[in-house]
Amino acid sequence: MMIAGRCGTINLKKLLQIISYQENLDTEGFVLKETMDEQQKTGKEDQGQAAADNKQKTGEEEQKTGADVRKEDGKVEQQAGKDGQKQVSGGGDEGAAGQNNKRRSRRSFRKPVPSSGTSAQKDAGDGRISASLEENRRVIARLYGLPENKDVIIRDFTINTVPPVRSFAVFIDGLTDKIIQDLLFQALMAFAGQASPPGGEKLVDLVKDRLLPGNQIMVTASFREFLDGVNYGGTALFLEGCGKVLLVETKGWEHRTVDRPQSEQTVNGPQEAFTETLRTNTALLRKLLKSEQLSTELLTVGSRIKTFVAVMYLRDLANPALVDEVKRRIEGIKVDYLADSGILEQFIEDHPYNLNPTVLATERPDRVASKIIEGKVAILVDGSPFILVVPSTMYEQLHTGEEVYRRWQFGTYIRYLRTLTFLASFLLPGLYISLVLFHHEMLPTELLLAIAGNRERVPFPSIMEVLMMEFALEFIREAGLRVPGIMGTTIGIVGALILGQAAVEANIVSPILVILVAVTGLASFAIPYYSLAFTTRIYRFIYIALGATLGFFGISIGLFIQVLLTSNLKSFGVPYLVPTGPRTSAGADVVTRLPVFFHESRPDYVNPQDATRAPKVSRTWLKRDRGERR
Amino acid sequence: MIREGSFGPAEAVILLAISNIARFFLPYPRSLAEIGGTAAWLTLPGGLVIALAGVYVMSVILNKYPDKTIIEITEEVFGPVLGTVFNLVTFSFFLAVGALFTREFAEAMIITALPETPVSVVTVAFLAMGLAGAYLGIEALARTSRLSYLYVLGGIALLLLAMVPQCDLDNLFPLLGRGPLQIFGNGSLSTAAVTEIILAAVLVQAMGGAGKFRSIGFRAMLIAYGLGVALMVTLSMTVHYQSLAEFTLPFYTLARQIYLGRFFQRVEAVFVIIWSVAGALKIALTLYGATVSLTRLLKLPDYRPLLWPLGLVMFIISLLPPDMPASGRLDLIILRPFALIPNYLIPVLVLVFYWLRGRSRRAGS
Repeated sequence: MMIAGRCGTINLKKLLQIISYQENLDTEGFVLKETMDEQQKTGKEDQGQAAADNKQKTGEEEQKTGADVRKEDGKVEQQAGKDGQKQVSGGGDEGAAGQNNKRRSRRSFRKPVPSSGTSAQKDAGDGRISASLEENRRVIARLYGLPENKDVIIRDFTINTVPPVRSFAVFIDGLTDKIIQDLLFQALMAFAGQASPPGGEKLVDLVKDRLLPGNQIMVTASFREFLDGVNYGGTALFLEGCGKVLLVETKGWEHRTVDRPQSEQTVNGPQEAFTETLRTNTALLRKLLKSEQLSTELLTVGSRIKTFVAVMYLRDLANPALVDEVKRRIEGIKVDYLADSGILEQFIEDHPYNLNPTVLATERPDRVASKIIEGKVAILVDGSPFILVVPSTMYEQLHTGEEVYRRWQFGTYIRYLRTLTFLASFLLPGLYISLVLFHHEMLPTELLLAIAGNRERVPFPSIMEVLMMEFALEFIREAGLRVPGIMGTTIGIVGALILGQAAVEANIVSPILVILVAVTGLASFAIPYYSLAFTTRIYRFIYIALGATLGFFGISIGLFIQVLLTSNLKSFGVPYLVPTGPRTSAGADVVTRLPVFFHESRPDYVNPQDATRAPKVSRTWLKRDRGERR
Repeated sequence: MIREGSFGPAEAVILLAISNIARFFLPYPRSLAEIGGTAAWLTLPGGLVIALAGVYVMSVILNKYPDKTIIEITEEVFGPVLGTVFNLVTFSFFLAVGALFTREFAEAMIITALPETPVSVVTVAFLAMGLAGAYLGIEALARTSRLSYLYVLGGIALLLLAMVPQCDLDNLFPLLGRGPLQIFGNGSLSTAAVTEIILAAVLVQAMGGAGKFRSIGFRAMLIAYGLGVALMVTLSMTVHYQSLAEFTLPFYTLARQIYLGRFFQRVEAVFVIIWSVAGALKIALTLYGATVSLTRLLKLPDYRPLLWPLGLVMFIISLLPPDMPASGRLDLIILRPFALIPNYLIPVLVLVFYWLRGRSRRAGS
């Protein structure tokens, strides 16, 4: 019995083993830690392993001599040498230049400064540049993960001074302009010929002031600044015996050239758009606003990868409190990486849970310039072609350059047309549903009969019909964005023919609904700001639901709550619906656009330092003298 | 200290004016026709005079305590016990107005647009709007009223213009209707029963302080009563007063009579949007007034926690009247006389007590 019992126990254990899930740790290099327990358990194990590894590594490093390091780097240099370049990739040392070194050894070089042996372990955050080239090279190798990291190039050379000075340059291949670099090396290696001072500050000054032709040179003793400079396309020059590094501006990466706007096209006005390069964008703005008062403040966001964020404003116009608030919000962002201005917008906006956007993003330099001249602040993110402007109101999100660059009558007409399209873009399907389901007495008999006749053969209820068509439109829109450009027209044809004509012929939807959805879609496309158009797309479905539930009463519930929510919004302290809610000085440019000579003052809600845009009489040629025109 | 936000005089005037004219979308014009006959519209100027006097008295009180609202002033003048009693009267008034208006607007909506919808559903919808408005605060409500007033006033103007072809001047005669005593006595007291004087006195700090109260109050009353007169004149001229006294919703009846050619002949549903927005504003304001007065009375730091329970109370009270005629009767018999207490009686008493206290203090010194 006991044996049988024992056997039973053994069998049960085996059985449990068979049916239990067991990770196959032998074949999988990475095992996902699913639960907290697993994470803690494996975390401890990892820490233990890491500690052991570190100990071992440190021991190995201690045993390693400088010659060993040279050996490793020498291999890399040989590889580089095959390409016919005098470049050493992966943190080579001074003894790795092969025959060149032999030639150099005949000349009297400045004595190498002995390595302290500790800086290589310093963190880049507080590390200082050493006077020893060898030590700097080792730190750089550690910081950039050399020699595995093949992007970073360390180029050894000798400055042609008397006596010659050994040095090396560090840069990232692909980020720098080779022509500028060639000029630098030429200047240092071939044309120097000066008597070099004994070292230190004087040597750096000599190279900076008399030898280097670079247009922007920074001298620093910090490894952090060195890394920031090199990561941003700079070339760093380390000199033997100097505890400082020269950072030369040599940016020259591949980039898109200035092109036409993709999403904010106009018939009149400038046809330039921002690009992904920060400096190109700042220059595009400066080209339009040629003023010494235009300030560009550079901030960085990102703890792991730093992204430059530029804040541009006119010092004599923008409200200092607004500028401070913008900088405060940007500086207060704690994130590892900021990829785009769209992400920054989400970090700095006042009301992240409301559908309406409270920050204006535009790709048009002329539009940003027109906002800066109103006293607003532009935020440029490196790598993003969309520039943010704050504060932003709903009315200006419905404006484009189109009506500004044309005569005021046309501008005003377009604005009113756009107001209609704005309302239609979210109200039209809801109103249709309300009419069909609740208020058909409102429709004239002929129209009612036409609608009823069309709907007679449609088997779905009206709400289903509307939702089907609306979703179809959304599908077309989304597909049209994703398919390659050449297929875009195909999508349009498919949408128009199949979903319109075929759906009607198949008695799935009524023709009047196809017209209605098409008009709604057009209205939505007519909204110039993409984020605001998105808002109306979502609101539209809410209105369909409300209209289908409570008719016009439902629509009025939606309108009331939407107005409440929207009027409660603020953009950097400025109410979103100014100048109508709350009432402020409307100016000459809200919906009705008055003639350009009436635009005498800037929007007062920004509290600019100078509210006057033009004097009372801006057309001085119209000055009258005793009632007669001059 | 409650954080109420602030808004300008223009918003305040519009807010109070829309709140005041919301009653014209309900059976209110019918009761005026019953009181005044052909001269129903003449009850309004008399009411305006009383309302302006009420605003003046209130402004005098508020100017004595420039950094306080009527709730704190009442408590300070009458002491903690009597002051609390009076403040509870004010609070109950807001609650009663909110509940009754919710019910009346819900019934009106059922009559005009949603005949098969249960009253509780429409009441909940109105209270949801009111709760949303009160939760977002008086600043958002003021801006909403400022943004929607053009549509509300535009709708009224459109209605009045569309009615011009059907107007008959003879319907206004005899000019003094049921006699001056009935019109300027009973009628004026009825039309003077407003919510906005006491509401403005509770919101005075958000409106920019006591200094602006008088001009805001005067302008709001003039606009509201002016619109009321225009509406009543048009109603009286379009429909004979005897028929007018039979309509449950005279404004709706007026809207139904629009005939602008064959295409535009049944546009009354469009007015549903206008009067439901006006109704929602009124309900949100009274709910806000009730909550803020209770918050100030209890000296609480924030009014929002009280919104949900008070909204629930309002919902329950609004369902107590059995039907629309009963709600109308409660409005006429209870609410309008009740309105005179917080709007006129308590302020006058406050002023008298303040004066008496000052006199006794002076005599003592």
